[in-house]
Amino acid sequence: MIEVEHVVKVFEGVRAVDDVSLRVRAGETFALLGPNGSGKTTLLKCLMGLLKPNSGCIRVRGIEVGSDPRAALSLMSYLPQRVAFPEGLTVREVLAFYARLRGERSERIARVCHQLRLDLEELSNRPIGTLSSGLLQRVGLAVALLAEVPIFVLDEPTVSLDPEGVRRLRAVLAELREKGRTILFSSHVLSDVETLADRVAVLVHGKLVALESVEGLRDHWRQNALTRVHLWNPNERFVELAHRHGASEARLLGSSLLFRSKASDRLAILRALEAGGARIETFWTPEPSLEEVYWNHVGKRSAGDALDRGDRVPESATTAGRAPSE
Amino acid sequence: MGTIATLALFEMKVHIRNRWVLVFAFVFGFTAVAIAAFGLATAGVAGFQGFARTTASLLNLALYVIPLVSLMMGTMSFAGEKNAGELLFVQPIARESLVWGKLLGLMLSIAIATGSGFGLAGMIIAARVGSAGVTRYLLFVGHALLLALAFLALGILVAIASARKPRAFGYALFLWFFFVLFYDLLVIGLTFLVPEPIANRLVFLSLFGNPVDLVRVSGFMTLDNPTIFGAAGVMLVKFFGGEGWAHVALIVGTILWGILPAWLAQGLLRRQDI
Repeated sequence: MIEVEHVVKVFEGVRAVDDVSLRVRAGETFALLGPNGSGKTTLLKCLMGLLKPNSGCIRVRGIEVGSDPRAALSLMSYLPQRVAFPEGLTVREVLAFYARLRGERSERIARVCHQLRLDLEELSNRPIGTLSSGLLQRVGLAVALLAEVPIFVLDEPTVSLDPEGVRRLRAVLAELREKGRTILFSSHVLSDVETLADRVAVLVHGKLVALESVEGLRDHWRQNALTRVHLWNPNERFVELAHRHGASEARLLGSSLLFRSKASDRLAILRALEAGGARIETFWTPEPSLEEVYWNHVGKRSAGDALDRGDRVPESATTAGRAPSE
Repeated sequence: MGTIATLALFEMKVHIRNRWVLVFAFVFGFTAVAIAAFGLATAGVAGFQGFARTTASLLNLALYVIPLVSLMMGTMSFAGEKNAGELLFVQPIARESLVWGKLLGLMLSIAIATGSGFGLAGMIIAARVGSAGVTRYLLFVGHALLLALAFLALGILVAIASARKPRAFGYALFLWFFFVLFYDLLVIGLTFLVPEPIANRLVFLSLFGNPVDLVRVSGFMTLDNPTIFGAAGVMLVKFFGGEGWAHVALIVGTILWGILPAWLAQGLLRRQDI
């Protein structure tokens, strides 16, 4: 549906998007995840023809955006991060204008406003300049939804929305998914990605560092997850033992031994510790949240750091057990 | 309704709603009435002056004010849009349509402001001194609109060519100074450097390099006063084989000043990052 091939976009010597390639399948909800300045918005703007890539190409249903932007744009609708409308016009006038540009009937406006719980009767004569930022963003979302297109591209859609707006947005996106629409959105709100996306691409400094399903990313993380072992008899010797049996990282923290290992080595390490005299009270491997996975990719924070600082690991999110021999 | 018409009506609605049109209609109307009412005061005569004298005074004033207003409006309409108007640029419409639609919308806004301002003033003048010379007054309004077209297009070009809004306004002000104040000084300076026959030709040709001069000459021709431009005016009439054709050439020249910058602007916008 959307093919991004080796796209590079440079701003004053800085590679905002650096050789990114990805494909978004038809009917899929796809998230671009990354910190501020990671290139998410730039990539979306390249897709929408607002920016011209320095190299690479983007195709939408086989239509190259660079060579036929109008045809490509007729398949997509876009919600920018910040919307702006002429302040003197009313909400109804703005919606009517965009509906006319898209060739949509005026009945469509009422339907979209109902979907977003925008009270058109109350808003119809209200100048845009008097709206709150949350309401303004909802009007922007309404403009994006006016177009009956197969692809919706949303740049940080929840950023300026109030809680009711976020709730409505999630409901609307769920409806669009049911209808088989393709949704591509960027976000740094991990809970949005976790609940909405089928697949996620992680961008850091313009580079694509991961592209998988949310579950796939978690699995990847589990492969080198951290295990925390509570010991009755903590001893530096157990650190050495863990290293010897395959742990890539190990250390003592109070009465706990923390080690990072492949999932396949975990049991062997625990058995070796026990054989070496360690008296294990409990152990657990935290179920990684998307946040941990994400921070691991952006290189700023890891689950290990969180544990080092003694952050609480929720019991529900762990794979816990007694000593392996039990 | 076509895309350009939709964009133009939207643009016009924006300017009417933010009261810009009302303010300029008032300014134009008030100025025309004030000139008519007090124009004879310097000659020690009390009372309204007729359309002919009022038009001559208004023309001189319009040659300063209309370019400035139009440049600012043209610049503002795109310099703001490029940063905040992403929603407009992602609609499946050609970027060329955006330029022509906005230009048309701005033109309609200025037409409403000048039409209602000068129209109301014209009615007041006609009620006081009669309608003699009203055709010249109406032709003056037409000239003011042509001048507005040229400078709106230049404003749009400047806004699209400039990366940042403040820079765009800087260039727009420079253009105003250049065309309204410096251009004629530059041409006069050049005439001192060349022999007289070439100098006359230079002055004649230089008219087409400045929309303000085109409208000035064309406007004074409608006031039956082409000789005010001396040898260059005579050469102009002679070259085009009569006053009528010279007038047509001046008007076509001004319209081209409205079309060419807009055409360049749409070419730039098509290739540009938003």
